[in-house]
Amino acid sequence: MSPEPTSFLGETWQLVVAVRRAMGVTLRNLFRRPVTVQYPTVKRVYPDRFRGILALVYEKDTGEEACIGCRLCELICPPQVIKVEMLKAEKRNYAKTFTLELYSCEFCELCVQVCPTDAIIMLKTFDLATSDRREMLLDKDRLHALGLAHEPSWATGNRLRDMQAPPKAARAEGKGEAKAESKAEAKEPAE
Amino acid sequence: MPPILYHAIAAFVVLNVVIGLVTYVTLLERKFAARMQSRIGPYYVGWPHGWLQPIADALKLMMKEDIVPNHADRWVYNLAPLVFLVPCMLIFATIPFAPGLGVADLNIGVLFFLAVSSLEIVGLFMGGWGSHNKYALLSAMRAVNQIIAYDLPFVFVALIPVVLAGSLQMSAIVAAQSGLFGWYVFYPVLGQLAFVAFLVATLAAENRVPFDILEAESELVAGFRVEYSGMKFALIQLAEYAHMIGTSFLGALLFLGGWLGPGPEWLGPLWFLLKAMFVFLVVTWVRWSFVRIRVDQILAISWKLLLPISLVLLLATAFVVAYRSAGVA
Amino acid sequence: MADTVAQHVVEIGYGGNERLVMNMGPQHPSAHGVFRAILTLEGETVVAVDAVIGYLHRCHEKLAETLTYVQYPSIASKTDYVSAMTAELTYVSAVEKVGKIDVPRRAQYLRVLAAELQRVASHCLWLGTWCMDMGGALGGGATVFLYAIRERELILDLFEALTGARLLYGFHQVGGVRYDLPAGWTEQCRQTLNLIEQRLREYEAMLEDNPFFLVRTQGVGVISRELALDVGVCGPLIRGSGIDYDVRRAEPYSSYGEFTFKVPVETAGDCHARYRVRMVEFRESIAIARQALDGLPEGPISSRPGVKSVGQVRVPKGEGYARVEGARGELGCYLVADGGAKPYRLKWRGASFCNLAVLPHIIPGHKIADVVAIMGSVDPVFGEVDR
Repeated sequence: MSPEPTSFLGETWQLVVAVRRAMGVTLRNLFRRPVTVQYPTVKRVYPDRFRGILALVYEKDTGEEACIGCRLCELICPPQVIKVEMLKAEKRNYAKTFTLELYSCEFCELCVQVCPTDAIIMLKTFDLATSDRREMLLDKDRLHALGLAHEPSWATGNRLRDMQAPPKAARAEGKGEAKAESKAEAKEPAE
Repeated sequence: MPPILYHAIAAFVVLNVVIGLVTYVTLLERKFAARMQSRIGPYYVGWPHGWLQPIADALKLMMKEDIVPNHADRWVYNLAPLVFLVPCMLIFATIPFAPGLGVADLNIGVLFFLAVSSLEIVGLFMGGWGSHNKYALLSAMRAVNQIIAYDLPFVFVALIPVVLAGSLQMSAIVAAQSGLFGWYVFYPVLGQLAFVAFLVATLAAENRVPFDILEAESELVAGFRVEYSGMKFALIQLAEYAHMIGTSFLGALLFLGGWLGPGPEWLGPLWFLLKAMFVFLVVTWVRWSFVRIRVDQILAISWKLLLPISLVLLLATAFVVAYRSAGVA
Repeated sequence: MADTVAQHVVEIGYGGNERLVMNMGPQHPSAHGVFRAILTLEGETVVAVDAVIGYLHRCHEKLAETLTYVQYPSIASKTDYVSAMTAELTYVSAVEKVGKIDVPRRAQYLRVLAAELQRVASHCLWLGTWCMDMGGALGGGATVFLYAIRERELILDLFEALTGARLLYGFHQVGGVRYDLPAGWTEQCRQTLNLIEQRLREYEAMLEDNPFFLVRTQGVGVISRELALDVGVCGPLIRGSGIDYDVRRAEPYSSYGEFTFKVPVETAGDCHARYRVRMVEFRESIAIARQALDGLPEGPISSRPGVKSVGQVRVPKGEGYARVEGARGELGCYLVADGGAKPYRLKWRGASFCNLAVLPHIIPGHKIADVVAIMGSVDPVFGEVDR
């Protein structure tokens, strides 16, 4: 910082210099491109891990619903927006009803984290504005439809847990490389 | 045609043109400010670039409900926008847009302008007082202090071109600036200093940042205008921007040579408009670059800095003119 | 109980002696959140200030008793929502302290990186809103505000690529962090840090040595050294009053001891001193973030497996207090654990709550315009005031 001027002319000159500097910054910004992204004609590129709205998915190989109705997501949800009823069947269980109150959802991704079958995921879109709140009370069909309609994010339960898993001390030496490889596979492709 | 009919038609035309200009100047300011802030400004209304935004704003304000606060002094509250608006429109009566083209090119034009434009403070105070709102009252008190403090240097600085030209008539002042580099802003030392002082005095008399303490949104939430909505608010906005444009025109006329410019004579009004917009944009540029200062600091700047400087400049101009005329005669 | 006292003081009207009682109410363009200041004015000078808080009380401490240790970190970010990483860090540090849970080194470095980036983002917001309070939403303040937010958005883009969220992250978990760096993130981070360092010079060009700015901030809101120690303010307020105290130095947490950084101290105690402190903190945070990126060790990001069930983390009986140097000061969390999956009691020590206590001492004697300058330089966030 410049030393404090004491004379009248000195102070006035300091004022002139400072004014010129500040107005120069503003003038320089006048000629920069604006940073506005004109949504909705132009959409920004969302990163891979974007936490958008939630959806249920089908299993890749069999095409069946991936959700087994285990209710782990219901138990972990902090604002308790998920309600699941299990339907027992012979080979595996299903979810009889699955409701998610999106208007109260915190988008914390804990339900995705705990899901053992990667059934519930988050999508790369957040755009669900409606004029009726009841449309944001998502039931199972709606969740499946959303899952088919939009692009999913990278995060699924198993991928997140693999990323967070500490290597077991016993397997540190021998299988260290294998673990690093599986971790590298679990990471999403380079951007 | 009887002169009164001519003047009436001219007044009607000028008022409408001024109102149209004022609404579009708000758009100009918003776009200019937006670009300085890395954003776009009005865009979608009247796509592209918000050409219909001022119309949309005007329609919205006209359709709003007219609210009068419960304990407000009704007559004072309702009349304040009008009392604020009338002087701000009346100043356009004396501005000639081209030689012979104007409502009334009085031979005391500059005096009339300065006198009438300082009447707006009455409307401002009425608005603040009649609103029965502490924020409005504080703002009105600050406004009276500030505008009175800055009207003095404003008058003295506006007198400098008058002394140089030797006449209070606006068209005579412009005629005296003819010739290459004849504009008073090019007058050695005195012209530039006077122009800068004029800009500072304009900023303060218009309540623009850094002197906009009376409408400081972050403390007083719109100041004396806080209780106004709908058409009354529109009138107040209109009056403020009209006053702003009026002083821009005055600045262009006094310092930048009015309608003088290259090209044929009928391009004169266009040059005048461009110069006024230049003054307006410089003031806007300053507005969007600085934080505001406190009211006691504003008053200190006026009484201790600007008033002495403007007096010294006026005296110096008088000496120069006397010396020159003594040398010639 | 407090009502009768409040009614005695608060008469919105004319308090005799030409004094005016004015309410800068919870809805105000410069209230920085929801804050009610009842000012007693004599003309333009503030004679007394009565601060009313509690408009944002959301029962965090009770909520923490009903949520388990794996659920609460994403809620913890809502206390200091502007600087969410440090808020979550406080909670998980408290749990780890009481439960004696180790955190792997990579996780510690990632936590430091996140906290310092968050500090830069939070200070960007501070600068923008402070200048907007002082300069007006239709004026130069808004210009600095939009520049600062433009830079803050770059950091939020980084956090979005890292966690998926822009404001409330859920990045921390007990034992480490939840997300590792994606591919290409370090490169993006370095570019962002370089750009922000450049832009800081622009802000300083607009504000430093600017007489309009100096005259608004110098000599305004002076907190003397004795007052700072008496009232117990923290963060940039105490460092602006001449006391060299930073929790990162006093009680290094999360491997801060391995980083070299300066702690800025100014002696003037006025708004300008606090501004200088925060501007230096900007640069120091960028330096620490660069050191964290350079020295990031390989390894796991959590010492406990990722969350698989809601009662996964159980903390044995004990109590402990963990504190963190947030952007606003010392943010602390006192945890009483009883062996289960939920805390028995949780107490948040909000930095802004303690900082606001200094207002009735420094505001009287100043003008109304100074009230907003002082409020901005104190930089309260009402999530941590009211919890």
